[in-house]
Amino acid sequence: MLKYLVVLLDRTSAAFCHADNPYSVRELMPLPVLQEALLFAMKENLSVQFVYPDYELPDEYVSMIDSVDHIDIRHVVGGDVCVLDGMDGDAEIDGDNVVIRTTSVELIDNLPSLIGLMSRATHVAVVLTDMLSMSDERLGRYGEFLSDLEREVAGMIQSGVVPQINLLTDRLFLAEMNNCNAGWESVTVAPDGRLYVCPAFYYEDESDSIGRLPAGPDMRNGRLLRLDHAPICRRCDAFQCRRCVWLNRKLTLEVNTPGREQCVVSHLERNASRRLLERIRPAVDFLRDNDICEIDYLDPFETIRL
Amino acid sequence: MKKYVGKVTVAERDDIRRLFERRNGLDELAMIVDREDDELYESLVSDTRDTDARFHEWWRRMSAAYKWESVSEGHWEIDFETCGIFLVVSDGSL
Amino acid sequence: MKHITFIVTKDCQLACKYCYLVGKNTGERMSWPTAKAAIDYILGNREIFDDDGVVWEFIGGEPFLEIDLIDRICDYIKREMFRLGHPWFDNYRFLFATNGINYGSAKVQAFISKNIKHLSIGITIDGTQRKHDLNRIWKDDGTGEERGSYADVLRNIPLWRRQFPNDGTKVTISSEDIPYIKESVLHLYSLGIRDVKINCVFEDVWREGDDRLFEDQLVELADAIVDNGYYNGYDCSFFNERIGRPLDPEVDNSNWCGSGRMLSVDAAGNFYPCTRFAAYSLRVKRPRIIGNVRDGIDLNKLRPFLSLDRTTQSPGKCIECEVASGCAWCQGENYDAALTDTIFQRSTAICLMHKARVRANNYYWNRLYRKLADEGRREEFENKRKSQSTQSFSC
Repeated sequence: MLKYLVVLLDRTSAAFCHADNPYSVRELMPLPVLQEALLFAMKENLSVQFVYPDYELPDEYVSMIDSVDHIDIRHVVGGDVCVLDGMDGDAEIDGDNVVIRTTSVELIDNLPSLIGLMSRATHVAVVLTDMLSMSDERLGRYGEFLSDLEREVAGMIQSGVVPQINLLTDRLFLAEMNNCNAGWESVTVAPDGRLYVCPAFYYEDESDSIGRLPAGPDMRNGRLLRLDHAPICRRCDAFQCRRCVWLNRKLTLEVNTPGREQCVVSHLERNASRRLLERIRPAVDFLRDNDICEIDYLDPFETIRL
Repeated sequence: MKKYVGKVTVAERDDIRRLFERRNGLDELAMIVDREDDELYESLVSDTRDTDARFHEWWRRMSAAYKWESVSEGHWEIDFETCGIFLVVSDGSL
Repeated sequence: MKHITFIVTKDCQLACKYCYLVGKNTGERMSWPTAKAAIDYILGNREIFDDDGVVWEFIGGEPFLEIDLIDRICDYIKREMFRLGHPWFDNYRFLFATNGINYGSAKVQAFISKNIKHLSIGITIDGTQRKHDLNRIWKDDGTGEERGSYADVLRNIPLWRRQFPNDGTKVTISSEDIPYIKESVLHLYSLGIRDVKINCVFEDVWREGDDRLFEDQLVELADAIVDNGYYNGYDCSFFNERIGRPLDPEVDNSNWCGSGRMLSVDAAGNFYPCTRFAAYSLRVKRPRIIGNVRDGIDLNKLRPFLSLDRTTQSPGKCIECEVASGCAWCQGENYDAALTDTIFQRSTAICLMHKARVRANNYYWNRLYRKLADEGRREEFENKRKSQSTQSFSC
């Protein structure tokens, strides 16, 4: 069931996930639409996440936003989630949570910057923006990078600092899937009041909406967004995987079927988490009950191919 | 007349079926390969000789191993579905 | 067996009323370079095409309109499989579904004699002349008069029977055809066609009451088969002992349709998971292209097809259905009829027709076994069915 409403306050609101925001011309959500969105969220009991553009909002917007419990997602400091575009180890961050949008190539070349950011943030989420063009060679390099990162993180933990990085530590604490669940647990409202599965669907094709306010979403085949209708994912234990339904549709033409790239990336991370767990277990007294078994595949599709 | 005289294993059936299919393939390939296409023609001739030899060897080996009933004017057939072996004679003397 | 289909032309002499090929035309004919590129790609990528054997199928439109191209393709396939030492050389078939009109032509007959050990050819004949000509009509020749094709096909049937005595025919039933089912099947038997593959169209064409009419027809057909002894040596796919049972959601969870395990290539060199996903087969949806002869197959686009199972695509009523076994679906029709661009939504347009078939099927087996028991031949019949072989080869 729906739990979250993502509100894109402007067409140029910060992209915070795999897809880039192609829009460059500002178009602020009209105040009545914002009001409608908040009313909808309150009636449906949804937590609200506001996604900000790169400019100051008028005072009446700020006060309306402050009238509900919410989370702020923005490029600049001061929000609950700070989004960084690219690897910048010196970036100003004071939020608890940092999202780094970067390519795998840039990430691999900037391990020290990542370590630096990890030491200053409560939680770092790295989002790869080149998932649609991952070659086998690049996947191999990503695996090597995760090994390096795993050794660094293990060293930090053994010295008493426990960083949180989605690529490695999220999986340690999970006993079941913890995916994005866009369209199933969250829905996105665009500045014109139309609803989308997630911002990426809005960025890609504005006509791909699933309803509008105040009526709410009218999702056709919405069941296909649920984990139990995803034949590959429902048997998978890369619990930290985003299971991005936008990537799924881009790569396989079906929202419930991941492409090989997403599966392999998530399994490289899962396996690095397993190695990290083995390495730190003697030094830490938490995670006693957690276990990640060894597997001989990187793509769970291989295990279910009929 | 056709009389059931024994059975082979699935693996043995697969062996003879592969050879049977290969013989058919070589027969039909022979209709389109030009003698002037030296390399392919030579290869076809040699493969046909080899496949025929392996085909007859299978029957010789199996009949010896299973000791199937035989008659001088008859021949054996295999049913690929059931792996059954049949003795067939044309004059109805079975 | 891998199933590879060449859509050699989208043209046909006929304009059958039930034809699902909504985009037939005379312009799209496969070129030799496209066909060759497809063969080179397929034979050159054994890691993708790792099946033990292969069926090379040729469809249209009417495939035999392109007999010169087909002949060249088959010769090239044989040469290349042999030259490459490909395992498929030991296990291949050439398969055709034809309207039969050109069957007796010199070119088609020359092709048949060259490849007869590897050929399966089905000629589509819908039944009696009345039934056949109801749907299978010639394209409009400008006179505006409807002209059936029965007589043009029938003249080739004896030759086809002699050349392919074991090959059957495929009959498709739409709403208008229901009253003719019994007479059509019996007519096909009378022509010497012993194997009649028959099914209802998957499209949503059914009218209220069709299921009852259908059931009545099948019961009459069952009576005729039992009374006339056709259960010995003749087959009609409507009657099958395995249909009409509940299916376990875990054990019996495989997909019915083979799309994705097949591969189709069209005149433009595009690959499809099955012909039903090509543009000319779809009423509403965009074609579902999974690659092309230049770039190869995009394996990501195959993943949904190869991970698709029965329960994920089925509505609750199908999962809980007490007579689910044997209820078929076509992935292409599911895609075309779905609310969104997905293959994961099963169309249930044939639900009532399947249930009617199950009732008639139960009737058939009950009648048959009672008759056999009365004659003291039930055990013999069952044993024969268990050990039934389809063919035996002389060595």
